[in-house]
Amino acid sequence: MNILGPDGLVFGVDNVAACNQYLTDYGLIPRDVSAQGGRFEGLDGTYVEIRRADDPSLPPALPTGSTLRKTIYGVADAATLEQIAEELGRDREVKRLDDGSIETLDDMGFALGFQVSIRRPLEAADEIVNCPGARQNRGVNVIGAAVDKDIVPVTLSHVVYFVPDQHKAEAFYVERLGFRVADRFTNLGPFLRPAGTLDHHTLFMVHTPPHMQGVEHFTFHMANPSDLLQAGKRFQDKGYESFWGPGRHIFGSNWFWYFNSPMGVHVEYDADMDLHDDSWEPRACESSEDASQIFNFTLVDNWMPGGDPH
Amino acid sequence: MHLCALRDIPDGHSRGFDPRGGGRDYLFVVRRGRQIYAWRNACPHPGYEGASMPWRKHEYLDSERTHIVCAGHGALFDVESGECTMGPCRGLGLKALNVRLEGDEQLYWYPDAGVEEQ
Repeated sequence: MNILGPDGLVFGVDNVAACNQYLTDYGLIPRDVSAQGGRFEGLDGTYVEIRRADDPSLPPALPTGSTLRKTIYGVADAATLEQIAEELGRDREVKRLDDGSIETLDDMGFALGFQVSIRRPLEAADEIVNCPGARQNRGVNVIGAAVDKDIVPVTLSHVVYFVPDQHKAEAFYVERLGFRVADRFTNLGPFLRPAGTLDHHTLFMVHTPPHMQGVEHFTFHMANPSDLLQAGKRFQDKGYESFWGPGRHIFGSNWFWYFNSPMGVHVEYDADMDLHDDSWEPRACESSEDASQIFNFTLVDNWMPGGDPH
Repeated sequence: MHLCALRDIPDGHSRGFDPRGGGRDYLFVVRRGRQIYAWRNACPHPGYEGASMPWRKHEYLDSERTHIVCAGHGALFDVESGECTMGPCRGLGLKALNVRLEGDEQLYWYPDAGVEEQ
């Protein structure tokens, strides 16, 4: 099934104003922002939508109180949408919404939407670094550091669920929706990608007791590690609370930086994720500090040595 | 250890403190009138024990300021008892710290020697 990846995530929250401000400061482009919520887009139009927790248009919340109300996947075309409606319609209700999308539940009870993808084609400038001996360098008299650089998250990358049964959850996405397993933390769950992307993962699962079902984090891809570090520094300077990073994961190779959020989930910046095709053989190991990351830094205040003894 | 003046915390609000300069808040207090509730900034979420809780500096409460909320995974805690009332920390609670409002209208933290050293 030609599912491209997540187009959007919809949250029903307690503090709409805080979430609106948070996602704007994170760097997304705000659209239609009001006391009722708003839509916050990356460069390609993929988005996070904020609504009031009691908004009647939202699918019901999980009994655990998780604020994620819907994960909306973008698919390649109308034929794919029909294929999904037919497949999932065999054993569950599939609603057809006025906007042409379909809505249903996965086997864990997470609400899913599918729509012909709204993502726009991207035209990104390559990040070129100067490396002695490299065939391509940034070039003579081309400046790398830009204090005031305009940095916008590029595209919605992935979401991570806490699930009460990682094997059942994996089976649903693999057998019913054609996701592939990229790698696996045996004690947590699989890194999954749908057929329409090469990204290492657009979905990861963490096995937890049932009362913890919900969302660990979501993230947008940044253009490159430099943008990730600079955006994260700006975000922390605005008072937002870093949770983990910046660092670099091993499975997926993506750079990461996680923050707390008023949606009650972690929000990550990621960059430079590995790409895989179906020739890739999944790796598996138990998760641990050293299996999870190559390095993990903590940002400190800007500083310089010296004073004026020279 | 001196933390701040009572008037530095608007009534009903929370404030975080990093008195030892560890880089993130070690504790936070919630003010209700002249009542002060002081808690270690450490979520008890299994697997995330000790995680910092606010989403932004000093922001430890929900929008109505009726509950403490962890901005990691949304656990709600009772302001007065510290017990988790909703979310992944069910059955667990926050660690209370000894912060007193004294006659000079200032808040002081009395660390429990040997226990609360970072």
